[in-house]
Amino acid sequence: MEKKIGVYLCTGCGIGDALDVAALAKVATGEHKVPVCRQHGFLCGEEGRKLIEDDLQQGVNTMVIAACSPRVMTDVFDFGADKVLERVNLREQVVWSHPAGDEDTQMMAEDYLRMGLTKAKEMEPPVPFQGENLSKRILVVGGGLTGLTAAKEAAGAGYDVVLVEKSDTLGGYVKNVHSVPPLGPPYEEPQSFDVEALVSAVTGSDKIKVYTGAQIQKIAGAPCMFDVTIQSNGSSVSERVGAVVLATGSVPYDAEKLAHLGYGSHADVVTADRLEAMLKEGRVVRPSNGQPAKSVAFVLCAGSRDPEHLPYCSAACCVESLKQAKVLKQQNPDMPVYIFYKDMRATGNYELFYKQVQKDGVVFVRGSVTAVEDDGSGALTVAAEDVLTRAPIVSESVDLVVLATGMVSTASLGKPYKAQQPKEGEEELEVPADTILVSNLLNLEYRQGPEVPALKYGFPDSHFICFPYESRRTGIYPAGTVRAPMDYARAMDDATGAALKAIQCVEMTSQGKAVHPRAGDLSYPEFFMQRCTQCKRCTEECPFGAINEDEKANPLPNPTRCRRCGVCMGACPERIISFKNYSVGMIGNVIKTIEVPEEDEEKPRIVVLACENDAYPALDMVGIRRAQYNPWVRVIPVRCLGSMNLVWIADALSKGIDGILLLGCKHGDDYQCHFVKGSELANIRMSKIKETLDRLVLESDRVRFEQVSITDYGRLPQILDDFAATLENVGPNPYKGF
Amino acid sequence: MEPKYVSLEMRDYIVSMGAETVNWCMQCGLCTNLCPWRLVPGETSEKFNIRHMQRLGQMGMEGFEDEHILFACTTCSMCQSNCPRGVKIVDNVRAMRASIVGAGMAPANLRPILGSAHANGNPWSGPREKRTAWQQGLEVPTFGPDTEYFLFVCCHSCYDPRSTKVAQSIVKLLKAAGISFGVIGNEESCCGESMRKLGDEELFQKLAQSNIELFNAKGVKKIITTSPHCLWTFTQEYPELGGRWEVIHYTQVLAQCVQDGRLKLSKDGSKKVAFHDPCYLGRHSGVFDAPRQLLENAVDGGTVELSRSRELSLCCAGGGGRIWAEVPMGERFGELRVTDAIDKGAKVLATACPYCMNMLIDACNSLGKQEQLEIAELSELLAANL
Ligand code: SF4
Ligand code: SF4
Ligand code: SF4
Ligand code: SF4
Repeated sequence: MEKKIGVYLCTGCGIGDALDVAALAKVATGEHKVPVCRQHGFLCGEEGRKLIEDDLQQGVNTMVIAACSPRVMTDVFDFGADKVLERVNLREQVVWSHPAGDEDTQMMAEDYLRMGLTKAKEMEPPVPFQGENLSKRILVVGGGLTGLTAAKEAAGAGYDVVLVEKSDTLGGYVKNVHSVPPLGPPYEEPQSFDVEALVSAVTGSDKIKVYTGAQIQKIAGAPCMFDVTIQSNGSSVSERVGAVVLATGSVPYDAEKLAHLGYGSHADVVTADRLEAMLKEGRVVRPSNGQPAKSVAFVLCAGSRDPEHLPYCSAACCVESLKQAKVLKQQNPDMPVYIFYKDMRATGNYELFYKQVQKDGVVFVRGSVTAVEDDGSGALTVAAEDVLTRAPIVSESVDLVVLATGMVSTASLGKPYKAQQPKEGEEELEVPADTILVSNLLNLEYRQGPEVPALKYGFPDSHFICFPYESRRTGIYPAGTVRAPMDYARAMDDATGAALKAIQCVEMTSQGKAVHPRAGDLSYPEFFMQRCTQCKRCTEECPFGAINEDEKANPLPNPTRCRRCGVCMGACPERIISFKNYSVGMIGNVIKTIEVPEEDEEKPRIVVLACENDAYPALDMVGIRRAQYNPWVRVIPVRCLGSMNLVWIADALSKGIDGILLLGCKHGDDYQCHFVKGSELANIRMSKIKETLDRLVLESDRVRFEQVSITDYGRLPQILDDFAATLENVGPNPYKGF
Repeated sequence: MEPKYVSLEMRDYIVSMGAETVNWCMQCGLCTNLCPWRLVPGETSEKFNIRHMQRLGQMGMEGFEDEHILFACTTCSMCQSNCPRGVKIVDNVRAMRASIVGAGMAPANLRPILGSAHANGNPWSGPREKRTAWQQGLEVPTFGPDTEYFLFVCCHSCYDPRSTKVAQSIVKLLKAAGISFGVIGNEESCCGESMRKLGDEELFQKLAQSNIELFNAKGVKKIITTSPHCLWTFTQEYPELGGRWEVIHYTQVLAQCVQDGRLKLSKDGSKKVAFHDPCYLGRHSGVFDAPRQLLENAVDGGTVELSRSRELSLCCAGGGGRIWAEVPMGERFGELRVTDAIDKGAKVLATACPYCMNMLIDACNSLGKQEQLEIAELSELLAANL
């Protein structure tokens, strides 16, 4: 594109009062010989926008707007995807956070304008990726409560659905239950659940194609272009779909492992699902003699919240046991019923249900069960350490002991996928691979492994606050108990949420746009393959498994799987991965354009590579709150800290920049990185920076990594000033002036 | 530790004695922490934990019969008015006591009291024919067909020499206000409120029946009580046994009279007076303003508010039969109350319940603070300002 650049300096919001705008304009017109450079006192107003639009009529196609933060006024300064637009943040990060009329503040503003101009010159308008034969159909894997609900909701929203169920009938676990806990006020009685109605809504819909007795043999491709091979009754069929809802549910924890609770040694110790089946049949009996059970004790957390078994809470069994106890009490109000529990996790409106069951006279014993024993007459007693009386207690004899076994995600039933061993002579990978369990649910043809990566305990979940419903595979949304332990009501909500995410995915992808968190981004990574060394870094490090490999280890990118984080760009040692508007060279040049004063001027320079998602907005907030920090910093927003390429550090240091501060999101188990692993990868790459520093004979203190979240604006000035103080101790970079 | 055995039969028995809400308790422990026993040291404080006691009740487990546990509660309702589950804790205490006392296992120190109530119709070992002795030298009208109010005088004020002044003052005030009232006399029996709280359900039924029959036979429609305890049982417990009258406390009648201008009080400017809310008048019956209005009219500057007042008032420790308990010095709630008043610079601590007066006087004496703080029943202060 032949570029005609226009620079627009806004003097409103205090910018004009704090800076020498004429001098600033000279940077554009003088140094950079920009043909159009205008000032306005209220650029985001109608008149200001018109000023720019008039120039667009005159052929300007690349705009550098030096005004407020790029995070605000995005609608006002939107001139279409075919133009190049770069925003220079003079308001929040210069004049609102530094003294007005100061020489250093002016230098900062001028540097930012230079940096913006450099970037604008290199950026190209993105051309959206368009795949072929795109599908907007949604594949739902699993025909239980969650899967049926997701299918019904997606079809209700007008999307075609393919539903695959392993067993011969639809309905899943809920088909076999007597009743479900209360779903509405007054939350005091169990209620029946019309699963048949749900099943017929699904089978009766002409938008939903159902395969029963079927399994997924293979899923190849990428969002909007997934080719699914379904094995059904001995034959295989192929379907093209756009997105996937994974709703394969969970299985109860294996009670055979609960011998300490009497399972296996006493026939009258049964699991909750066994009791549920008996309730459904209408006859609750003692398996030992077939006689009706006249008294029942429930043992909760059977295998859950137990480091020896399932370390997590299974979330639904408390309320499910309350329900079963209530049903027993409804059938016979005088029946002695005990519930032995650790904590009664009956949250929200279920508290009302809990209260009702207490009122019904069910005996609640809080504490750990120490023994389930035969009382000598064939009945059982339960002994426990009762927390509430601080004494060991023994129940009266009961006929039946019910173990509320926990939930095990179907995604966790499988051996860990073996990452390919590096071949002779290949470099060992330091980046820890995601946990991928070969659970035979989706059989993805993905280079990183055949299933969705697990977060914890084998659940393919994601950060529950920042990224609900997301998995680490674009276009695949786990829902229901396969994703996390939950009860019926939440599973139905979850199904609806996942269906919505799937719909968003097919809509965005079919327009060539990225999905969450860079929703709407039209750019995508392009590979200059001639120079690829088949090092596999990109294919292994992409947090979303977007890049497959051919037999020769050439990367095969799948742009619709990509979230546009740029982690591959940061990974590639050959620097051959770039976006139209974001590349290693571009940011390298931005760094090089920063003016580095001579050593005797005592004006150090610090490059801050700030994550666009948390750190950068937090820096804006520092300005909004008018907090001050040192004027030596030059902030460069990055898509993700994982997109940082080490060459930038070398570029900066060899140019005389005194220090580099990396601001990224929290990493680890409770990561807040928008791209899951980006921040962690940046941290790992930090260790390699040492080589660069050693080569340049520079101190390791010159590069620092800090984890900040969006709420850390209070802490940021201190972080920036502390780093400046450290650099002062280290002394100026000897490469200044080279 | 030897395991304890759960007994649902025992649990059900306790429930049938009136602990209908014991199962509602979710064992959060708020009650234990709000209980005034947490504010004092000593054996009872260490042993008595209302949450724990109810837990034993829920499971029908032994361990609650210990006197220090079972008879510790003063039924002040601090816990009950704040229980997030709406558990009727006082009823549960009463029912658990009843499960023991009803089986003939009342503790030795309570036997003479219960015995006296049986024999004499009062727990103070006073002969029935002496019930009206307090009236000497006073013209107290007798209740008749044309009398509007029946004045029911608490046994304590009939027999306790200090407390008789309360009855006398109230009579003076009612007369000054021109209220039509009268007493019945020796046939009256103890209201039974504290007997029932002690767990003697049978005794309570007997006392209540006899009163109901008597009052109804005399044509009683409206009652003024001198004690908040009688007020409470007449309004809360008698109706279901057949005693349905309009019952109010003397402070309510008098406050109304002052408002109507029927009762004129002169203001005494010499003293700072603090008011102690009796549990059974305040938290149990919701009467907080009437005594304050009266003090407003009788004392310059009105009441000095204590740091814990109204709904948060601290119990004097006289309810639930605790008036008969021997409590070591240093463990009496009343001592905290006296200190509260002195801290606020009060010279007089007034209350509107004979039990409270009794307990506070004891506490003041045990602290040796008689010189600094005078304990008075509200009626006495008012009668002095007629
Ligand atoms: S839901 Fe309740 S029973 Fe189930 S694991 Fe959690 S705490 Fe235990
Ligand atoms: S990181 Fe770069 S060089 Fe390595 S395989 Fe990927 S594209 Fe090729
Ligand atoms: S406050 Fe109420 S619910 Fe809580 S422990 Fe006490 S009685 Fe039980
Ligand atoms: S009624 Fe009063 S004394 Fe009795 S347990 Fe409750 S707070 Fe404690």
